[in-house]
Amino acid sequence: MLWLYLHFPHLVLDHIRRTREDQGALVVVEGSGQKVIQACPEARILGVRSGMRLKTAISLAPDLGMVRANETQEVRILEDQARWLYRYAAHIVLVPPDGLLAEIGSLQKLYGGLPAVWQTVEQGLNERQLNAWIGIGYTPLAARLIARAGKGECTADKDHILRTLSQMPLLAAEFEEKACTRLQRLGLNTLGEVFDLPPGELARRLSPELLAYMQKIQGTRPDPRTPWQPPHSFRQQADFVQEIEHTQGLLFSLQRMLAELEEDLCWRQQDTDSLRLILKHRHAEPTRLQIRTSGPEHRADHFLNLIRLRLEQHSLSAPVISMVLQVKRFLSREAPSGQDLLGETQDLNEAWHTLISRLQARLGDQALRQLSPQADHRPERAWSASEVVHKARTPRTPTEELPRRPLWLLKGPQPLTEAPTVWFSGPERISGGWWDGQRVHRDYYIAQLNSGQLAWVFRDAREGWFVHGWFG
Amino acid sequence: MSELLNTLMQDARIWQGHRHTQTTQPAHSTGYQVLDNQLGGLGWPRGALSECLLDAPGIGELHLLLPLMQRVCAEGKSVFWLNPPHTPYAPALAREGVNLDQVVLIHTEDESDFLWTLENCLRSPVTGLVMAWPGKLASREIRRLQLAAEAGSNVCVLFRERRYAEQNSPAALRLELEPGEQQELKVNVLKRRGSWSGQRCSLAMAQRADLSFREITRVVRGPWSASNG
Repeated sequence: MLWLYLHFPHLVLDHIRRTREDQGALVVVEGSGQKVIQACPEARILGVRSGMRLKTAISLAPDLGMVRANETQEVRILEDQARWLYRYAAHIVLVPPDGLLAEIGSLQKLYGGLPAVWQTVEQGLNERQLNAWIGIGYTPLAARLIARAGKGECTADKDHILRTLSQMPLLAAEFEEKACTRLQRLGLNTLGEVFDLPPGELARRLSPELLAYMQKIQGTRPDPRTPWQPPHSFRQQADFVQEIEHTQGLLFSLQRMLAELEEDLCWRQQDTDSLRLILKHRHAEPTRLQIRTSGPEHRADHFLNLIRLRLEQHSLSAPVISMVLQVKRFLSREAPSGQDLLGETQDLNEAWHTLISRLQARLGDQALRQLSPQADHRPERAWSASEVVHKARTPRTPTEELPRRPLWLLKGPQPLTEAPTVWFSGPERISGGWWDGQRVHRDYYIAQLNSGQLAWVFRDAREGWFVHGWFG
Repeated sequence: MSELLNTLMQDARIWQGHRHTQTTQPAHSTGYQVLDNQLGGLGWPRGALSECLLDAPGIGELHLLLPLMQRVCAEGKSVFWLNPPHTPYAPALAREGVNLDQVVLIHTEDESDFLWTLENCLRSPVTGLVMAWPGKLASREIRRLQLAAEAGSNVCVLFRERRYAEQNSPAALRLELEPGEQQELKVNVLKRRGSWSGQRCSLAMAQRADLSFREITRVVRGPWSASNG
């Protein structure tokens, strides 16, 4: 098995830098906030080095942006990288905090040789503006050591890899500190010299663990790794160095996140109809926004328009420190059903979804209603309003058997204040509702009022007269 | 230059008192031959605003639009009802052959939402007809809507109160609606593109309550007089 190891020397930095619009100096400081662990190129130009005290760094670069290292965040960012790498390689192992391992021996044939695999991975890294050192080896540990030493080369030649490993100084081999000192005291300087020692002696004089470690590097002892499985949901997070106070500032990051979502959905061959956007604030409860489209959708610009509309409606309650985009609901993608050559029906369908989604995003889901008749005798219950769904139902034939009813129904019966001038038809007795307590007992008439309006009036059991509808 | 003038003349955008220009603007027949004749044989203009000015509902104003509604639904396009004053009654619409799947009811909270929604509906290719009941509208806002309507090619009818008949409006067609004695609808053309206004006609609307074949004698005399004295 041939392994490829990706070592990200400053992953957190890369992750944060690509969600920023300005490219100012930026460092990652360790948990206690004393030392700089990672420094971006801009900071390094100003003289900031990793391992430097934070105070010194600030005096060198007064406008320094600082991010505190956080283990869970690091793991999450690493998983993000595994997700895109999974598109190229099936067998991936996470090596927290900053490494990814991929089995590429089986991919050579697919990509047409090792150089092609290498190139694909490098291209993926470039697209995401990530810095990574690549190493190739016949065991996971060998690949890791080569990558971390920065000696990676695009070759599958066993001897060459062994030579590279042999020339590696002991300090780069990641032995335990104690074992490393003992080996150095024995006068050994490179890994190759340790390889040459007889295994029995190595175990007896040093430790069995050291022998096991050496054998794992060489490949004479199995080194099983659990492969990583991609989650069945999409999650992207953007962390901001400076708090964002205006919605406009969020859109830049959103654009990139949505582009990733689109790519992810394309890769899954699925669509979604609801996105979840969580805006985290420093001192307040996070703002949760549910963005829904009226139909399955995967295009980033469509989502962006909806979110922009939504954000225009809701101004930010507090400055945002980070933003999470989640998608948990996936729908299978519909095959284009356009029957005609020009696909016009498809276009209209899509335009419908776009319009309804836009309106719902701004006005709320409750503002849009669709009507349907219901089987009930009582006029106020003979119809219902529901949320808008687009179904390509065959148009119903006009139902002539329905009784003559006015086109306007009042929201509630209004008292009749004047005597109608002309009576036309009636009475039509509607009596029902004894089964659910909403008792109705009315005599309906059609009558014309003084104003010329044609009204649907009724008299109820208590002898009161009401207008219930207009013949518009 | 003369070419520009010619197009202006042909589009009937410049009103010429001395002749009635046969306009070439796209339109939908109203479904009422009498009214179509008064409107130069065209009907509801597409890609432009129309206004119906009336005092109170229940005089046949929806039946005026019903033939268009039926046609739009049959074409598979949508009918939007924006802020209607009462509930459009689903069983009655279904009885008239309006496909309710194509009917969308929209309620907006404030005026800016109203204008925004109307503009969006007008610009969309799925829209066939928009019926809107605006509250107060400034002339500038109607102009804005008129521009939005020109972007699409659908019919937009605004229902407004009759007192606005005095005010001028950028709408392409303005109809004043009044109830008649025999339940008919009297239509007064206040404005139309490319010709004189002032045509009047009256449309029989008694069928909207099945009154044409009902005899008054068949009505059980309302107990109104009995209870009212």
